[in-house]
Amino acid sequence: MPDPSVSLPKPERWPVRGTPLIENPKFQVRNLNFYYGDYHALHDISLDIAEKKVTTFIGPSGCGKTTLIRCFNRIFELHPGHRAMGEIMLDGENILAKGQDVHALRAKVGMVFQKPTPFPMSVYDNIAFGVKLYERLPRRAMDDRVEWALNKAALWEEVKGKLLESGTRLSGGQQQRLCIARAIAIRPEVLLLDEPASSLDPYSSLKIEALITELKADYTIVLVTHNMQQAARVSDFAAFLFMGDLIEYKDTDTLFTNPSSQQTDAYITGRYG
Amino acid sequence: MIATRFWIRWRRFKSALGWTLSGAAFLALAVAMIQILFYVFAKGFKSLTFKLFTENTIGVGGGLKNAILGTLLLSGTAMILAALVGVAAGLYLSEYGEGRMGSLTRFLSDVLVGVPSIVLGFVGYVTLTVWLRWRFSLAAGAITLAVLMLPYIVRSTELALRRVASGIRESAYALGCRDHQVVFKVLLKAAAPGIGTGILLALAISAGETAPLLYTAGWSNYGWSGRLIHEPVAYLTYVIWSFIGEPFHSAHALAYAAAFLITALILLINLIARLLIATSPHGNR
Repeated sequence: MPDPSVSLPKPERWPVRGTPLIENPKFQVRNLNFYYGDYHALHDISLDIAEKKVTTFIGPSGCGKTTLIRCFNRIFELHPGHRAMGEIMLDGENILAKGQDVHALRAKVGMVFQKPTPFPMSVYDNIAFGVKLYERLPRRAMDDRVEWALNKAALWEEVKGKLLESGTRLSGGQQQRLCIARAIAIRPEVLLLDEPASSLDPYSSLKIEALITELKADYTIVLVTHNMQQAARVSDFAAFLFMGDLIEYKDTDTLFTNPSSQQTDAYITGRYG
Repeated sequence: MIATRFWIRWRRFKSALGWTLSGAAFLALAVAMIQILFYVFAKGFKSLTFKLFTENTIGVGGGLKNAILGTLLLSGTAMILAALVGVAAGLYLSEYGEGRMGSLTRFLSDVLVGVPSIVLGFVGYVTLTVWLRWRFSLAAGAITLAVLMLPYIVRSTELALRRVASGIRESAYALGCRDHQVVFKVLLKAAAPGIGTGILLALAISAGETAPLLYTAGWSNYGWSGRLIHEPVAYLTYVIWSFIGEPFHSAHALAYAAAFLITALILLINLIARLLIATSPHGNR
C-alpha cells in the first residue's frame, strides 16, 4: 500500500522553470520527441548542454534519461522502430537532419555504456581499434596514443605491464576505464556516459567519478545516473526527467538545494524512485 | 510443527527422486557410450597394424591408406565448402535475419537437418553424379557432405553471434564503425570459438556418414590421384558398411580397424572442439 502522502500529481506539462542560461552551448535540443514504435517516450524536450561542463540527467527508471542520451550520437537508430523527431544542434548543425554523416558524428561524440564492453582483443588493440578507424598512425605514434588515452582514463599505471593481455581479463572497474580510454582515444569533443558506474563497486565507482571531474577540462560530458550523490558530486548542471517530460533543469547546486518543482524535491530527497 | 516436518520430508523425497532419475539417465547414456567404445576399441585394436597406414586395399585385404586419406580429403573439402556458406548464412540470420527471408532460411535449414542422409546421397547421385556427369568423384561426395553439414554450421554460427553481448555491438557502432567493420573486426572475433566449435562438430558428424557417399564418392582401391571429378574416392565408413558382410577374416579385420579409426577420429575432433572453447583467449573464465 503506497503512502498517499508521497503520491505525486499526474504529470502534466510542467514549465521548464529556471532553465539555466548557458553561455556557449555544445548541444541545443529543441522540441525533441522520441518514439519506440507507437510509444511516445520523450515529450517535446528542449534544453542546452554546456560546453566542457558535466551535465547530468536524473530521474526514476523509465523516465527517458537513457533514451535522451542515446539521441546525441544517434545510437538509437540501430534498433528498428526507434524514432527521434525534432532538432539536436551540435555546434549549430542539426545532427538529426537527413544526410548527416553518422560515422563522423560518432567520431565527435563518444559513448560509454552501463556495462563494460571491452572488445575481444588485447588491451592495446581495444584502444588502437577505434583510432585505426579514422587515422593511419605509424607504430610509435599509435603507442603514444594508446598510452595517452590510458593515462587520461587513469588506467595506465595498472595495465602498462599487460597491454597484450585480453581486455576481457581486467576487473570490472578496469574494463569500464578501458572503455572510457577507448572512447577518448579517437579524440572526441563530447563524452556520453550512460550510468558508467552503476555496475561497479563503490571504490571503482569513485574512481570513475574522479575521472569525470578530470575529463571535463577537455570534454563536454553528458552523464546519466541513478545515483543522486554521484550527480550532486560531479555535475555542473542537472536535468530531472519524469515520465518522458523534462521537469526541471538547473545548475546542480540549485537543483539539489532549492528545487522549484515538487516532483524534483520528492525524487532527490528519496521520497520517490 | 508437524506440518512443517511433513513438508521437509516431502521435499527430501522429491530431491532423492530427482537424483535417482538423473543418475539413471546418466547411467543409460554412459553405459551405451562406454559399451560402443569398448567393443570398437577391443575388436579394432587387434586388427591395428602398421600395414593399415602404408598399403592400399587389395580386394578385401591389404591396408586402409586409401580410405584414411579419402575420408580426410572428403570431410576436409566438405568442411571448407560448408564453412564458407554456413558462416555467411549464420551471419545473415543473426544480423539481418529478422524479416521473412530470415525465418524462411531458418525453417529450410531446420528441415535440412531432418532430411535422411541417404536421401541427400540420392539427390547428390541424381544431380552431380549422373546429370552433371561427374560420376563417382571427390567433388560429388564433398558437395553432398557439405550440404549435410550446412545446417549445423548455420545454426551454431547464428547462436554464437547472438551470444555476443549487445553492448559490444553498440559500442562498436558508437565508435563510428561501419557495418562491415563491426561484423568482421568485432563480432566474428568475439564469436570465433563458438563458430569454430560448430564447424568441428559438423566435421565430426560428416566423418561418420556413409549414406551420402555411397552414391557420390563410390569406392576405390587406389589412392586419390588429384582429379576432382571422374575418379572415385575411398573412405573408412564404406569399409565398415561393406566388408563386415564378406565371409573373409581379413575383411572383418579391416572393418573393425576402420571402425576403430573413425571412432578415434571423431573423439579427437570432439576433444579439439572442447579445447577450443576452454582456451579461447578472450573468454570470461
